Amino acid sequence: MSDLMSPSSRRFNIKIGSGALVCEEAILKGDITIGSHTVVHPRASIIAEAGPIIIGEGNIIEEMSTIINRISPDDTGTPVQIIGNYNVFEVDSTCEASKVGDNNVLECKAYVSKQVELTNGCVIGASCSLRDEEVVPENTIIYGSQCHRREMNDKPYPQLGQLEYLMKMLLGYHHIYKPNMPPPKTESST
Amino acid sequence: MAYLFQIDCVRYACSCGSLKSIAKIYFCRHCLSIRCGYCVCHEVDSYYCSNCLENPPASEVRLKKYKCSNCFDCPCCFETLSIRSGQVLVKSLHTTQEESKPVTKKIYYLSCTLCRWSSRDAGIPDQTVATGSWREQESPNTYRITALINFYKILGSIEKQQKERKKFQSKRIFLQFEKFGITSTMARKRVGQLPLLQSNTQSDQPQPSEASEEIEELSQDIFTKSIDITKITTLDQRLQHPELQVENINELRPQRKQFIVKRSQRCRFCEHTVSKPDYCPTSTKFKIQLAAFYHVPELRIVACEPLRLGYSSELLLKFCNPTQHQTQIILLSMDTPMMPTTTTLQGIKEEINRENVQMGCDSPNLLPSAVRQAIVVEEGRQVNIVINAEVILPSSSFILPPRDDAAEYDDPSDSQNSQDDPKLVVWRKGNKAIIRLDVIPYVDKDKMVKDEPIVVGLAMQYGYINTIATLEHKAPQKLDLKVKLFLTLGNLVHNIL
Ligand SMILES: [Zn+2]
Ligand SMILES: [Zn+2]
Ligand SMILES: [Zn+2]
Ligand SMILES: [Zn+2]
Repeated sequence: MSDLMSPSSRRFNIKIGSGALVCEEAILKGDITIGSHTVVHPRASIIAEAGPIIIGEGNIIEEMSTIINRISPDDTGTPVQIIGNYNVFEVDSTCEASKVGDNNVLECKAYVSKQVELTNGCVIGASCSLRDEEVVPENTIIYGSQCHRREMNDKPYPQLGQLEYLMKMLLGYHHIYKPNMPPPKTESST
Repeated sequence: MAYLFQIDCVRYACSCGSLKSIAKIYFCRHCLSIRCGYCVCHEVDSYYCSNCLENPPASEVRLKKYKCSNCFDCPCCFETLSIRSGQVLVKSLHTTQEESKPVTKKIYYLSCTLCRWSSRDAGIPDQTVATGSWREQESPNTYRITALINFYKILGSIEKQQKERKKFQSKRIFLQFEKFGITSTMARKRVGQLPLLQSNTQSDQPQPSEASEEIEELSQDIFTKSIDITKITTLDQRLQHPELQVENINELRPQRKQFIVKRSQRCRFCEHTVSKPDYCPTSTKFKIQLAAFYHVPELRIVACEPLRLGYSSELLLKFCNPTQHQTQIILLSMDTPMMPTTTTLQGIKEEINRENVQMGCDSPNLLPSAVRQAIVVEEGRQVNIVINAEVILPSSSFILPPRDDAAEYDDPSDSQNSQDDPKLVVWRKGNKAIIRLDVIPYVDKDKMVKDEPIVVGLAMQYGYINTIATLEHKAPQKLDLKVKLFLTLGNLVHNIL
């Protein structure tokens, strides 16, 4: 790898929490903060175009998925894209949502546009897309080719087992960025 | 059969008048004509569950109401539900020690992988065994329905007895039973059965249902309350279970999966089978598969120049011979008679009627006539398609060599046949050939419907060897068969040069 491409030279505005696993092959652009225990797979893209992206804890961002803070003409100031905790972005999903809560799942090839706000425990089914401005209520599932909606009784469980497994496997086969943020105070006590 | 993403550019006219792609038609080797799903008899061979592949015998299937006892469909999105297992801690009560140790116990619940519906959503308690313990939802009318079915069964048997009695009335041979109102055959049948309950039938008659004028009052807020669509069932969800038609999503219950059938298809004219699948549900093979794909030359559109009104455009067509015999292809106009012909030793063309086609055994249908579906032969319908371009037919014919699977791996060089008309045949390899034709869209504007794709029609005559005859130690019969083809070539180009 050349000096230009080396992680240290372009990492100045990327903050990675302790225990997070961000593969070097991931595409990271702009001002990005990645919380602890979040896994970013190789070839996943996180692009902070219009403003910074803040990603919380324990998220899984899979291959070919895109989280993008896209520039739009009606932006005022610098919009910040905030992603909560324990969300899963499956293969080839695209998330442009300005705000994503906790425990959401974007299944394969799902698409969520900038005008959408995901609350908590929502599932955007495989190949479903959300393009119109709305706040998706908690525990909503959108599924099937007709994008049917239903309210689930229970939110999707955090993928703790999967996170643990990925931590082991990815570490063995990929170069990763070193965490550069001090662990949060609540965790340091343990 | 999936066929090149199911594009219907080239359609073959079936003998019944419908137009289908070659992947959807059959070729009856016995009456030498094309048959399709509309003009064959469909017979159910076996039932099986598409999820667990269980295939119970037909009598058992009826008892199971054509539904699998182990598999369930999601009531929400109709996908198959999968059985998930989990563990719960159960405090055991049997320990004599003061401190009762919690014991892990395996529990099962149903869950949908597509829409994430689960039996827990519906409030169904988790089960301790994976299969068999899931209770089916009771229909509120079960009692009434069984009462009615039983009553009609009684009526049916009475009617049967009356018919039987009529049959024997004229003979009057055994009179000793007549005074009891039954014949000797009926008496023999009745031995060991319950005494006749003829007098009871009146009292068995279920209460007739009564229409009521009183309708449940609508609630006060019916027009004012805002509705949450995510909590109300859709029409599809209600019709999936017509007995209950629940209104709220949380009242949905898993439905037992319906069996699907393996069916064989039989020619309506000669009663020979054109398609028969393997009995085993795990097999995707066929015992008999007389798909046209294996007997009739396949035609594909290779390229077509942009079409302009009144101008001729070049059309390249690829022909492929699927049989083991060489075949000669002649392209004819649509109005040629479609009867199969043969050429006698003297070189005279002869028409073949259904009667003198060399058929195999005469009674192929081994099912008893009672089980057999009554065969209804319909008149062929007129092909209903507007041809809006003329195709200039070649004066010469061309030959397609037999199919040779090994040739696929041979030298890929093009083999030109010296006998070919170079103006007609532009490419040739193995059993395939590409020919060139000219197409002129009709200038007649009245006939043209705007933005309708251009359709040309032609008849293809192809050589066919009737190998059924060889089974009966006769020389194989050489026949010339014809089929009408309709090619959809696409829309006209509007900007005329
Ligand atoms: Zn037909
Ligand atoms: Zn089953
Ligand atoms: Zn479902
Ligand atoms: Zn037939």
